[in-house]
Amino acid sequence: MKFESSCIVLAFFLEVIVLCLITSFRFINIESTVTLLIFNLLFFSLTFQLNGSLNRKLGMLALGNIIGLFWNFFLYFFATAGAMFFGEIFNVLYAVFYPLLNFMWIVSFWSLSLSVLPNPKSVHEEVKR
Amino acid sequence: MIIEVLEVVFLFTTALIIAYLVRHYIFTLTVLRRVKKPKNVDSVADPKYEPTVSILIPARDEENVIGRLLQRMTELTYPQGKLQVIVIDDASSDATGQIAEEYSRSCECIEVLHRDKKAGGKGKASALNSGLEHSTGEIVLCFDADYYPQREIVEKLVKEFVAPAVGAVQGRPVVLNEAQNIVTRLVTLERIGGYRVDQEARDTLGLIPQFGGTVGGFRRSVLEKLGGFDETMLTEDTDLTFQVYLAGFKVRYVSDAECYEEAVDNWKAYWRQRTRWARGHMQVCFKHALRVLRSKKLNIKEKIDGLLLLHVYFMPVLTLIAFFAGVSLILSESSQLVNALWFFVPASFYSLVGNFAPFFEIGIGAYLDGRTRIQWLIPLLLFAYFYNILICTKALLDLFAAKMLRKSQSDWAKTRHLGNGNSYIGN
Repeated sequence: MKFESSCIVLAFFLEVIVLCLITSFRFINIESTVTLLIFNLLFFSLTFQLNGSLNRKLGMLALGNIIGLFWNFFLYFFATAGAMFFGEIFNVLYAVFYPLLNFMWIVSFWSLSLSVLPNPKSVHEEVKR
Repeated sequence: MIIEVLEVVFLFTTALIIAYLVRHYIFTLTVLRRVKKPKNVDSVADPKYEPTVSILIPARDEENVIGRLLQRMTELTYPQGKLQVIVIDDASSDATGQIAEEYSRSCECIEVLHRDKKAGGKGKASALNSGLEHSTGEIVLCFDADYYPQREIVEKLVKEFVAPAVGAVQGRPVVLNEAQNIVTRLVTLERIGGYRVDQEARDTLGLIPQFGGTVGGFRRSVLEKLGGFDETMLTEDTDLTFQVYLAGFKVRYVSDAECYEEAVDNWKAYWRQRTRWARGHMQVCFKHALRVLRSKKLNIKEKIDGLLLLHVYFMPVLTLIAFFAGVSLILSESSQLVNALWFFVPASFYSLVGNFAPFFEIGIGAYLDGRTRIQWLIPLLLFAYFYNILICTKALLDLFAAKMLRKSQSDWAKTRHLGNGNSYIGN
């Protein structure tokens, strides 16, 4: 029973991640999808090797995708509104600063998420106890 | 024509940025794998191996910190009969010499070498050479005066010399005054990225772990063969690392040989220290880059790593060039490739200068160290990186100016230590 509920939670998180990717591609732009893919690749290849349950890691990854999706959504609308108001120059500014603005959420979320995972030293102490 | 030139510049600089990012991604993965499957670290250890050891401590105006280091020297667990501690009081104008003399009276293994204003003041390398002349140990270790080692550090460092191919060894500096302010916390992140992940991965992968000038040492025969410390170099440590490799020996990194250091605690001191490091590193790059490329004693992995290591302080300048070239190309709507590669340029802004450790590497290093909150400061690396762009640009310009004017580079551009770390030591 416990195994089944765990699988359902995993499937839910995976679905959230896939939905975020599709939504970003369909409703924002390809750049936002690439950003999310890079975040997923980094998170999956590095953070998934650390301590902690798969559910927790996948939950963090799903949360990261949701934050990234909303961040890109706001950026996109901001850029669209800015371009209408200020003209083409705003699109250029958007293109220049887009990656830097995206790294702001990636780096912040990455650094915070590491604190959520169990500390290796405390795990070691638990084992010793 | 200008657009084509800009494209070439942008592609070249971005390719370098990507090469560094990939390199550090591999380093991070390597350390994570090593944590999961640790090597049998005691395989090289020989309990009977106890060579004579000389510890060199160059000190110039270090009265605030020298006492605690010498106290620790008297507490080392290595057999005192096989230990020689040489304090090189390099024309100090404060009480450094007197404090060292007091310790030498109470401990037989401590010797003090006073250099007057005429002989001294010519830089750390010159002071170390002077100490080397008076030393007798088979192994020569170096400690900066503001450091505070573990009691068993000598055993941990020396055990690597059992292997005849090992010419030098490096331990791990850990920041003592981390909690002091934001600067010391950022330096802590830098140290974590540089040593917990970078150096350890290089050691594991058989690349080029770097001798950092302190918390480490050399086999005496190797050091003598290389002619001691090069006094014309600002970073004699990096220079010796490459000399050791070019002579066919290896440097080993010992992560559990920890030594606590007093980090710079304000931006002005950070500027001074990093400018010196950047200048020195660039100097070494000009000296060794071609030799590394041509060397028959280095394998291809070591050559690639060596070249990337040598050029690391040029990277902030190159990222700045990549940024401006990229912006110009985006403004001129040149090509889709530029837009695609543009993503990598800001990625480098969250890297540390000195080892180019990107944010993910530092985060993993902090996590593996059992840290829970210091990684929250990683987003602030952005500001440190911009500061380092200025530092490295100035260092490069200074170096060119010094070359043109034929000015000597080898003076003591030392960091002033106020002893702020003393309150963190609980004996």
